[in-house]
Amino acid sequence: MLVSTDQITEALWETISMVGFSLLFSTLIGFPLGILLVVTRKGHLLENAPFFNVLNGIINVFRSVPFIILMVAIIPVTRFIVGTSIGTAAAIVPLVFYAGPYIARLIENSLLEVDKGVVEAAEAMGATPGQIIFRFLVPEALSSLVLALTIATVGLIGASAMAGAVGGGGLGDLAITYGYQRFDTTTMYITVGILIIMVQGLQSTGNLLSKKIRRS
Amino acid sequence: MIQFESVTKTYGSGEDAVHALSGIDLTVETGEIFGVIGFSGAGKSSLIRCVNLLERPTEGRILIHQKDLTTLSKKQIRETRKDIGMIFQHFNLLNSKTVFHNVAMPLLLSNLKRSVVTKRVTDLLAFVGLEDKAEQYPDQLSGGQKQRVGIARALATNPSVLLCDEATSALDPETTQSILELLRRINQEYNITILIITHEMTVIREICDKVAVLENGVVQEQGSVFDVFTNPQHATSKKFVKSIMNDQLPESILNEIKEKEHHQIYRIQYTGSSTGQPLLSRISREFDLDLNVLYGNITELQGIPYGNLIVEFIGDRAQIQQALLSIQQQNIAVKDVINHAS
Repeated sequence: MLVSTDQITEALWETISMVGFSLLFSTLIGFPLGILLVVTRKGHLLENAPFFNVLNGIINVFRSVPFIILMVAIIPVTRFIVGTSIGTAAAIVPLVFYAGPYIARLIENSLLEVDKGVVEAAEAMGATPGQIIFRFLVPEALSSLVLALTIATVGLIGASAMAGAVGGGGLGDLAITYGYQRFDTTTMYITVGILIIMVQGLQSTGNLLSKKIRRS
Repeated sequence: MIQFESVTKTYGSGEDAVHALSGIDLTVETGEIFGVIGFSGAGKSSLIRCVNLLERPTEGRILIHQKDLTTLSKKQIRETRKDIGMIFQHFNLLNSKTVFHNVAMPLLLSNLKRSVVTKRVTDLLAFVGLEDKAEQYPDQLSGGQKQRVGIARALATNPSVLLCDEATSALDPETTQSILELLRRINQEYNITILIITHEMTVIREICDKVAVLENGVVQEQGSVFDVFTNPQHATSKKFVKSIMNDQLPESILNEIKEKEHHQIYRIQYTGSSTGQPLLSRISREFDLDLNVLYGNITELQGIPYGNLIVEFIGDRAQIQQALLSIQQQNIAVKDVINHAS
């Protein structure tokens, strides 16, 4: 094996911090956008067709660009935000651009699952749009929202593996530079194995949490 | 008091326009239980949603206690809605919250003090008979219990008006009865004006004071439940009345009697005190007629007994005419069944 245990540990931490930070920021961006996608659509609380159409279009554009292209394309933005275009911090910016719109879509889907009757009941009792969103829609969709964020996290782990292209490091980078390019099969197996365990663990935790919220 | 003044609701425009309501004029007096009945697509749903402006009328005005809702700001509308409770066919409860929290919701939205909320919710749950279910979740309840939670929630803000949107349509007959009894109690104990929309005539018969028959977005007939049941004017009203007063003679029997010379069939409708008299045996003796009761039913509408008989008169034509006159003199309605099939 060409890599040391320390290298693997370091790569693991890089992956965790890349995924963790980008999940945090992309949720902060995606959550409100997802809510806006729901409430500004036709017939909903704050119906606003022009706003919905523009937002919907922008999100589709970001969702269409392959991550590896997106990463390179937004290098100027990355440089502007974190001061450099190389390294783990620099990888977080494209990851957020990738996962933010994705999360917005997932949240939109979860919120749309909430029975329209609940919104109607809320309106009938004189709730404000804000109260309807945060006291009715979000709590009713919570279990589904947890699953949506689990899916987003797993997606981010996959995307973070490509961050090696901008020197982002992480387990994926290790797998490519040692396992693939230098034919080090052991490193390949170990990194992929760790990634599998991470994904399995996350998905199980997500499922469990969602189930607990749903109480069934 | 709820007033509809030439309320029109149109969805879409141009050729695709759907006229859900066309020129509705209705008045629901304070303390009344008013039922609106109609088949699906009649416009009932739009009508009830216009009262709390979940649907905004395209034209016309909605007045609640003389206040025109259509001129209010969004904030004023929200305040007014707290005075209008609403319950739904599918309950529309929050599945993620306990029964207690569901009922507390309208109060929590007004940021009331915890202690006030707890007291009020406990009282409400006792009123609807669910004090032991406070910590359960809606999916652990039966349909009837869910509707009781819906009712408690609707009453939380002490409204003066309660809107019932097909509130019993998803329930079995027995549960429907118990929910209707609860609604009657609410009406009597809190003097809350209740507007009900339904497609079930039993709901109208059981608890309503007045009824309006809605079809194609137009009120075809309205009046006291007693009048509409005993003497429906419009074809749709007749259909609804028939749906629970199953008093039609089979065709075969009618045809058979039609062919006999000295046989006539009459419907005799009597109300109130006249239900207590032995009418038929007196007529039979006095006019020397044979009477054969083909159908008989007595029921109570708004607390007034109402009898409905279909009787075959056998005998001399002139004697039968005399007998009919004698019956009519007692203010009892008689209708020829063969000649006007009604």
